[in-house]
Amino acid sequence: MGKNARYDAVIIGGGHNGLITAAYLARAGKRAVVLERRHLVGGSAVTEEIFPGFKFSALSYVVSLLRPDIIRDLELARHGLELLPLESTLTPLPNGDYLMRGADHDETRRELYRHSPKDAEAYDDFGKLMYHLAFAMKHILDVVPPNPTSLRPRDLLGLLDFGKHFLGLPPEQFYALCKLMTMSAADFLDEWFETEPLKATMSASGIIGTFLGVRSPGTAYVLLHHYMGEIDGVFRAWGFAKGGTGAVSESIASAARELGAEIRTEASVEQVIVKNGKAVGVALESGEEIYGRVVVTGVDPKVTFQKLVEPQHLPSDFLDAIRRFKIRGSSGKVNLALGELPNLTCLPGSGPHLRGAISMSPSLEYMERAYDDAKYGNFSRQPYMDIIIPSMIDPGMAPPGKHVMSIFVQWAPFELNGGWNDDQREAFGDAVVDTLSQVAPNLKNAIIHRHVVTPWDMQETYGLTEGNIFHGELSLHQLFFMRPAHPWANYRTPLKNLYQCGSSTHPGGGITGASGRLAALEILKDW
Amino acid sequence: MNDHYDAIVIGAGHNGLVTATYLAKAGLRVLVLERREMVGGAAVTEEIFPGFKFDTGAHCINRLHPTVVSDLQLAKHGLELLPLDPAVFSPTLDGDHLLLWRTPELTVDSIGQLSETDAKRWNGFAALVAKATGLLESIYSAPPDVLSKKKKDVWELLKMAGRLRRLGKRDMTEVLRVLPMTAVELLDEWFESDLLKGTLGAVGITGILQGPMAAGTAFLFLHHHVGAKQGVLRAPLRVRGGTGGLARALESVARSAGVEIRTNAWVERIVTEAGVATGVTLVDGEEIAGRRIISNADPSRTFCGLLDPFNLDPDFVRRVRNIKFKGVCARVNLALGELPDFACVPGDGPHLRGVISISPSLKYLERAFDDAKYGEPSREPYLEAVIPSLTDPSLAPDGKHVMSILVQYAPYHLKDGVWDDAKRDALGDRVVATLAAYAPNIESAILHRQVLTPLDLEAVFGLTEGNIYHGEMTLDQLFFMRPVPGWARYRSPVEGLYLCGAGTHPGGGVTGAPGYNSAQEILKDSK
Repeated sequence: MGKNARYDAVIIGGGHNGLITAAYLARAGKRAVVLERRHLVGGSAVTEEIFPGFKFSALSYVVSLLRPDIIRDLELARHGLELLPLESTLTPLPNGDYLMRGADHDETRRELYRHSPKDAEAYDDFGKLMYHLAFAMKHILDVVPPNPTSLRPRDLLGLLDFGKHFLGLPPEQFYALCKLMTMSAADFLDEWFETEPLKATMSASGIIGTFLGVRSPGTAYVLLHHYMGEIDGVFRAWGFAKGGTGAVSESIASAARELGAEIRTEASVEQVIVKNGKAVGVALESGEEIYGRVVVTGVDPKVTFQKLVEPQHLPSDFLDAIRRFKIRGSSGKVNLALGELPNLTCLPGSGPHLRGAISMSPSLEYMERAYDDAKYGNFSRQPYMDIIIPSMIDPGMAPPGKHVMSIFVQWAPFELNGGWNDDQREAFGDAVVDTLSQVAPNLKNAIIHRHVVTPWDMQETYGLTEGNIFHGELSLHQLFFMRPAHPWANYRTPLKNLYQCGSSTHPGGGITGASGRLAALEILKDW
Repeated sequence: MNDHYDAIVIGAGHNGLVTATYLAKAGLRVLVLERREMVGGAAVTEEIFPGFKFDTGAHCINRLHPTVVSDLQLAKHGLELLPLDPAVFSPTLDGDHLLLWRTPELTVDSIGQLSETDAKRWNGFAALVAKATGLLESIYSAPPDVLSKKKKDVWELLKMAGRLRRLGKRDMTEVLRVLPMTAVELLDEWFESDLLKGTLGAVGITGILQGPMAAGTAFLFLHHHVGAKQGVLRAPLRVRGGTGGLARALESVARSAGVEIRTNAWVERIVTEAGVATGVTLVDGEEIAGRRIISNADPSRTFCGLLDPFNLDPDFVRRVRNIKFKGVCARVNLALGELPDFACVPGDGPHLRGVISISPSLKYLERAFDDAKYGEPSREPYLEAVIPSLTDPSLAPDGKHVMSILVQYAPYHLKDGVWDDAKRDALGDRVVATLAAYAPNIESAILHRQVLTPLDLEAVFGLTEGNIYHGEMTLDQLFFMRPVPGWARYRSPVEGLYLCGAGTHPGGGVTGAPGYNSAQEILKDSK
């Protein structure tokens, strides 16, 4: 087929990882084309003007871990990427008090001291430990997972490198890391702190996007993610992209185009074309066929291996592994267009607190009860929410004097009792607004428009199977050399010339771009 | 008076007796000190009501360490093990029931009544369990010091990796994948019958404050099956004469090896001089000198009770204080005038000879856990009951029976107050009512009732927080993390002080493995 290939690489899905793979391949002189089903690129990292004048980061709403290598390599700043810091996290409490943590170390310490002098003391030590651990873990974000069952020198060396790296840590850090991998976020934090809203708000980062509660073992590890971004010193752990999250995708797309990649929207791939046991191209829904020397999929493994590739081209044990791959969606999104700012009972009026995140996580019990609803197939009546008001940081997101509010909501199970429909979607939206109104009584009157995204909508509109924002749960048995399935964690697949570059590969979800970059580097190794 | 012993063992639990015997056989002069009037620790049989004898602690055992059984020739000293067959009887309220037998074919027949598909899958599942438990067994010797740079330790670690590799690529990854999973995930991959999944899943939650949806419960399920015959799952053994028969056999073998055993000898303090353990003092003031002190008590009692924590490294003390105990089990012992009559299988029959498991579904277990995580006893608890008098008539007067019931969840830490008489009675009533739903005659059959709350288990057996394993068996407290990271090899920061109880690797259950491992390590130091 080689001679007729129009492209060197055909990339399925214009999410941020697909775009990054394309950019890196183009940078190496390969002719890459990205095929995106929707009318805009970005996948789950898009900005959409859902109501006239009101722009929303429809799904993914904060940027945390975009690898600094990528920002440098692709010169994303020159292509328009501008990150604005989210400086604080405010947790309103049912008793009218609040907990606020911000960028100012001394202020945060004073605030913690108000709640618990013991916690204020522990907070710095905790931060130091997490910083060191994040530093240790960062090592694995940027490498291809070695296959522990392989005897090839490359895998053995990889394993040895790992062993040396982790066993070389100071004992205190090594053991803390072992605990983080196996404990629940709540148990881990219980060892350090006593202030409920502090533990609940910190533990929340352990459950985002997973179908687990804060007391479920395995959730502690994700606490580390919160600390990883800070190490590189490029920007703060949590930031907001000017112009919304779509601006991240657009800057990558712009870089890719400049490097020579072609990007086509409204090009929905229906099938991967296989000839002589090799992936040779794709067929679009329109009937058009596009050929390439390699095909790279940025969509999740359920879509790729259960829909786009015909089963006879894949070994049955691999298909079994993909069938067993857990991809339960657990979150929803509510986007509000507001006529006025929310007036919080605990901190009335406007102020810097509205420029940061607002976290509805008053206690571990609150978090756990929200999870209990979901375990039995209901959305949380009193959900955990992570809220930002992007128009406070970037006025361009809303008409003058008006605001947009982005609410990440958990838990909302994909498999809802009775199934998702319009009524359920509205009921879910109501639960969110009602819960939030308890701390911001003016909210209901301030709402001009409401846009509710259920896990079902995430699947239908954004192509996320079961509405899982990470393309597969980040649980221990689905990480590293098991992601998405052993021994295909090295971005290759059992089908020759078909590669994977999405979040379902190591190191997993979040806007890191690491999967896209590592995939491109692996593809180039095989070239 | 002040005899000088080579080794003093604190606590005559089964592990303490095993350690003592091995040390005596190696020529050491050994003294065992037991607080109660009888030996055995939680492996005891007591006549609570005239003529009715109960196993107040463990009422079944999984398997004794095979080396211990052969080295100590326990059969010669009167130990007789009775395999329960059927192993498990699981009733439901809708007329179905499940029997797990010691003959896999019979089990498959019983499962076939519930689900043809599940019956077909039983053998495949059994094979996976056998592989995983085989691997676990091979690492149940003393854990390697993972951070040591010594050649010997590195070699141990490599040998362990080698054993894993010997499973073969496919099985190795499968086992690695399964170990960190939840019981729900593991069982859902194989079976559809709620009753079957509930009955197997119950093994994964026994003794821990987690539900079957928690990571690590698949591990605990496997842990309890180490050494099980392939296809014979959840098949415990009973000891003729009650579990106390094991204690008597161990006592006999210990004494014949030259061990001196003193009951009613309550150790109050471990005496140290310049960081070296030199003896113990009893509550009556007696001092006994010994060159090595071996504690069969749990790590919290040992380091925070018997020692003055001020003499220990604060870092070490912090680790000990962070051990999660969180007892969740209670015990109800019933003296019965007649046998329970189950609605789904009326009358007497082989089903009453097995473990009676009230575990109709994984959801039932998870809901039982939900109550406990908010500090309340389960409204509908998981029950594991045995009627030992059916196979061992000496335990009850003619025509009458004893039934012992392990109850979960009964959390040690209650949301409202502490365990008292009223709460104890309410728990007993709840357990009887739960059982009566399945076997309506039970209420009228009861002649006497004893209820042991976690607080009672703590008081009677010296189990911190009533935890039956001397520390929760969760992933973060296993292997080289048990009892605390850095001190998993039976030694302690106090020279000459060792641990030999279930709080050490490989943990709880009546196996004798910690006692055996501990003795080996002590003897290494004695060379």
